[in-house]
Amino acid sequence: MNDERQFDHTPDPVLGDALRTALRPPGNDAAFVARVMARYDATLAAGTVPTWEVLARWARPGIAAALALAVIGGFVLGRSLPPGAESDESATVEAAIVPASGPGLAALVTAAAPPDASIVLTSLVEPQ
Amino acid sequence: MPADLPPLPPFPPSPQPPGGAARIEAAELVARAVEGDRGAFGLLVERYAAQARRVAQAVLGDPDDADDAAQDGFLSALVKLSQYDPRRPFGPWLMRIVANAAADRRRRMRVRRAEPLDPSLVGGGPRPDAEAVRSELGARLRAALGELTPRRRAAVVLFDVEGYSHAEIGEILGVPEGTVRSEVFHARRRLRALLADWKGA
Repeated sequence: MNDERQFDHTPDPVLGDALRTALRPPGNDAAFVARVMARYDATLAAGTVPTWEVLARWARPGIAAALALAVIGGFVLGRSLPPGAESDESATVEAAIVPASGPGLAALVTAAAPPDASIVLTSLVEPQ
Repeated sequence: MPADLPPLPPFPPSPQPPGGAARIEAAELVARAVEGDRGAFGLLVERYAAQARRVAQAVLGDPDDADDAAQDGFLSALVKLSQYDPRRPFGPWLMRIVANAAADRRRRMRVRRAEPLDPSLVGGGPRPDAEAVRSELGARLRAALGELTPRRRAAVVLFDVEGYSHAEIGEILGVPEGTVRSEVFHARRRLRALLADWKGA
């Protein structure tokens, strides 16, 4: 019962006996064996494992399939939108970087001389 | 084949793992069970019933749930028997199925089954006879086991009660061998402290 034995590579008989006693299940093993064998024919006839295990085994593939379906569905839905919706979105992005008047954002950031701060702020803040 | 060949020299003694003979017999029983021998499967259930029930109880905590899980494990093993590799030991293969069945059942229940510590036991009351002492120690051990994680409980039971190696337990629980060593270490530290206190009392 000391610390040196805690990393032992051999089972501890004292602890093992105590645990075996503590985990002694109620009822004898014969009754348990009879209970299992009572389902022998039905299990073989079904030719499958109990339902819960089938469900557990298919849980992860099921979730993955659902995610894949959701992605494909989203893609198909996006493709089926009217073309006007997509062009409106791209027009909005272009409008955001090309102001209605003035030198424009691209010209400001690529200019050799630093721009006047008021021009930059105006081109960024000014409503289109 | 000529009849006058000299007799073969005896094989040098090779180290046999514990339960080696039982392993061969189990493989033979499995072979017969795969062919539809109901009695052979019954013998396997009989041989491993106690072990499977203990392992399931180590995972689940509750004896009734443990028996349900152990039964599920045996019946799952029945339909998977053809997948068993007879060159490998049968016990770890079966216990892995049982441990998985218990873990699945535990997940489904979503209820912590740790047995609450009986307040009357905490105070170290009177111990009228040896059976009562063992019963009280068992209750304390079950309570201590209930404080451990299911994997830690299963690891220490598989190692100290069932005698599996760290590597075999790693296969059963689906974790690296180093993890098994760590789990057994921590479980032992907790349980041995309890036993030491018990003996010192």
